[in-house]
Amino acid sequence: MKVAYYPGCSLHGLAKEYGISVEVVCKHLGINLKEIEDWNCCGATAAHSLNHELTISLSARNLAIARDMKMDKVLAPCAGCFSRLKGASYELRNNKTLAAEVAEIIQSAAPVEPEVKNLLQLIMEEPGLLDKIQSRVVKPLRGLKLAAYYGCLLTRPKEIVQFDDPELPVSMDMILKALGADTVTWAHKAECCGGGYAASDTDIVLDLSGQVLESAHRAGADAIVVACPMCGVNLDTRQEAAAALKGKKYDMPIIYLTQLMGIALGYSPGQLGMKRHLISPFPLLQSKGLA
Amino acid sequence: MSNREKKVLIIGGGLAGMEAAIKLGGAGYQTVLIEKEDHLGGIMNQLYGSFPRWDNPQKIVEEKVKMVEENPHIQVKLNTTIKSVQKKDKSFVVELSDQEKIEFDAVILATGFGFYDAAEYGEYGYGSFDNVYTALEFEGKLKEMESWDKKDLPQVVAFFKCVGSRDRSKGYPYCSKICCMFTAKEAGLMKDLNPDTKCFVFYMDYRAAGKEYEEFARSVIEDKHVRYVRGRPAKVLPDNGKLMIRAEDTLMGVPVEVAADMIVLANAMVPSESTKELARMFEAKTDKYGFIDYIPGHPTQSGDRVFFAGGCGFPVESLGAQYQGAAAAAEVIALFNQD
Amino acid sequence: MLNTADFYHVWRIDQSSEQLKEEIKEHCHTDIERCLECGKCSGGCSNAHIFDITPRKIIQLIKIGEEAKLLKMDALWSCVACQLCVDRCPSSINIPRIMDYLREKAYKQHIPATRPNVQLFHELMLGHINRFGRVPEALLSVEFNIRSKQYTKDAQMGMKMFFKGKLNPIPARVKDIKKVRRMFRNLPMQREG
Repeated sequence: MKVAYYPGCSLHGLAKEYGISVEVVCKHLGINLKEIEDWNCCGATAAHSLNHELTISLSARNLAIARDMKMDKVLAPCAGCFSRLKGASYELRNNKTLAAEVAEIIQSAAPVEPEVKNLLQLIMEEPGLLDKIQSRVVKPLRGLKLAAYYGCLLTRPKEIVQFDDPELPVSMDMILKALGADTVTWAHKAECCGGGYAASDTDIVLDLSGQVLESAHRAGADAIVVACPMCGVNLDTRQEAAAALKGKKYDMPIIYLTQLMGIALGYSPGQLGMKRHLISPFPLLQSKGLA
Repeated sequence: MSNREKKVLIIGGGLAGMEAAIKLGGAGYQTVLIEKEDHLGGIMNQLYGSFPRWDNPQKIVEEKVKMVEENPHIQVKLNTTIKSVQKKDKSFVVELSDQEKIEFDAVILATGFGFYDAAEYGEYGYGSFDNVYTALEFEGKLKEMESWDKKDLPQVVAFFKCVGSRDRSKGYPYCSKICCMFTAKEAGLMKDLNPDTKCFVFYMDYRAAGKEYEEFARSVIEDKHVRYVRGRPAKVLPDNGKLMIRAEDTLMGVPVEVAADMIVLANAMVPSESTKELARMFEAKTDKYGFIDYIPGHPTQSGDRVFFAGGCGFPVESLGAQYQGAAAAAEVIALFNQD
Repeated sequence: MLNTADFYHVWRIDQSSEQLKEEIKEHCHTDIERCLECGKCSGGCSNAHIFDITPRKIIQLIKIGEEAKLLKMDALWSCVACQLCVDRCPSSINIPRIMDYLREKAYKQHIPATRPNVQLFHELMLGHINRFGRVPEALLSVEFNIRSKQYTKDAQMGMKMFFKGKLNPIPARVKDIKKVRRMFRNLPMQREG
């Protein structure tokens, strides 16, 4: 499988630990990631907010490079980037006028392939990969009760993404169960954390992330598992303030899916960037003999 | 009267099929009524109440079954399905599941409707969350709740209409026609069981076009005190044993929430698989959804010597199913008289 | 932001314009006449509880061509683009795309954003993409705090994040930045004025 890798700005910045763990785990599983050469920012959420042609063009340039690299798929581990790249590719396929305009803007034929995948899709759609992961588990995540959090953009909009049930998604739960963990049934697994508003209108994120945290807490989860740097950063770095608004304190670790995959596959928390979280997952992992 | 030698097959022993059989048998024709279940009555057997007169469904079925059984010209075959059909010039040779081969001069399809799978609505959690029921399941639940202690009865029950109906993105664009009325009925029956249970009906419109229907729906609102909330629910969030419903009250234009103990989904009525298969076997005309369709000028005829009645044509209430059964019988008799 | 006087008066709907509706059909590829007025969009909207105009009302306002009201609404600047509305809409009306379209239109016409900081953040981010091709998050946050005069906002958290190695103080760059800048230059409709 030749997979073009689009890390996006967050995996180089705010969510470095996600980027690190994605690379470690993919390498371990024989998924050969090739970073898109000289990729540019997808523009989320500024570009789509202010200029439609720009948001499509920014993604189109990245996809055109991946196409020229002759890759089968593009992996975008950030749900925001995924949504923009996937949405652009959908529009370019279905809107010939726009495709012509964009070709003019990026000075290259508008790309219609390769297919853009998020991390959950990449794992679930590759035949046999989930079984392979399960068979390679050396440190089962026994005793962990996890809230698998999908947020909004890993499965939405359904017409474009065409993956899992956007309202009651199960794919991440299946992966976590394959690693030996338990997952809780909870209400907010596919509701929004506030996305890109963390800096510009923090109250929105405190409100929405607060609802997600409260829901996971009430469902009895030990930690929330995420597959998006925006969800990860919002729920981790804004947790204290969001909880304080409700007069609470959760101390709920927010862990990237690939970090937990890494642990189960035998890597140490340090190798997976686990020291970088504001709410440390170490006490939880230690209590279960996983660190 | 050599015509009385004519033989007619009726497939489906619900109200529509029984009515057709009663009329054809009453006219003296040899009538074979087959039913795949081990009893007659169809979906009516599963109902706890009826609209618009609150009649007892069991009683309606019992009366009809008695009329069928007392008619010497009707042969009822339970637990029976169709294996194959061979079309001849003016008849069908039909092989039944008991290997018997019988030649019929006409057939009436009365196989009823099927139901849209409510689990397609992940946002409502049917099949995943406890206490989310389809409307048909809730009829059984009402029966079960008769014997419950009052303290165990739900405090809040919410009814969602248009689950799969009037939804181009997941289900069907059409209106299933009878959900507005049976939802009013179920909410009213819940109130009869326990007037202290709060009942909320989430609706986009309520459609009460039928004799005594508007009065029926108003009485549920005014006399039984069921609350109607205009707005289609967006999401159900389970929370500590309760089901938190998020919706908009579109009359006020504000978001509202209801913490319910039970949710009842009026899932769309759709063509059943057996209807689709029988339509193929008998070369009956179907519409784009797979319901049996009529030939212009012949409101209950769907092909050469093929007639239909009841929910296999489109969702219909019990009285309508009986009208259609009688009408199909009349068309068959008219055809036989021309033969 | 709309106030109640904007809403509670007699509306001459016979004099309404179809133009916005047609524009949206053309540019957003979505037909608002499919709207069943069921309110499912607004019932599940992540931020309906803070919107001045909920999605269902936005569709109604488009129907009667109330562009002026739509372009100054607060919902444009508090929509999180979570896609819940379009996914649940029984007619698949692409409300997130409509929101983007209306916001872009408001922005191009210099209609003041009800949440200037949200607009400022977007502008700064686009500025960074134009300059570097990528977004140096740490730098963007500092710049945003200075420009929005919130000098101490998130300072403590920022320090914590810095020491956790979450912030990369050295901005990443696209090597072939000319290509990125050319995209910005080649864009058809630039902001007026």
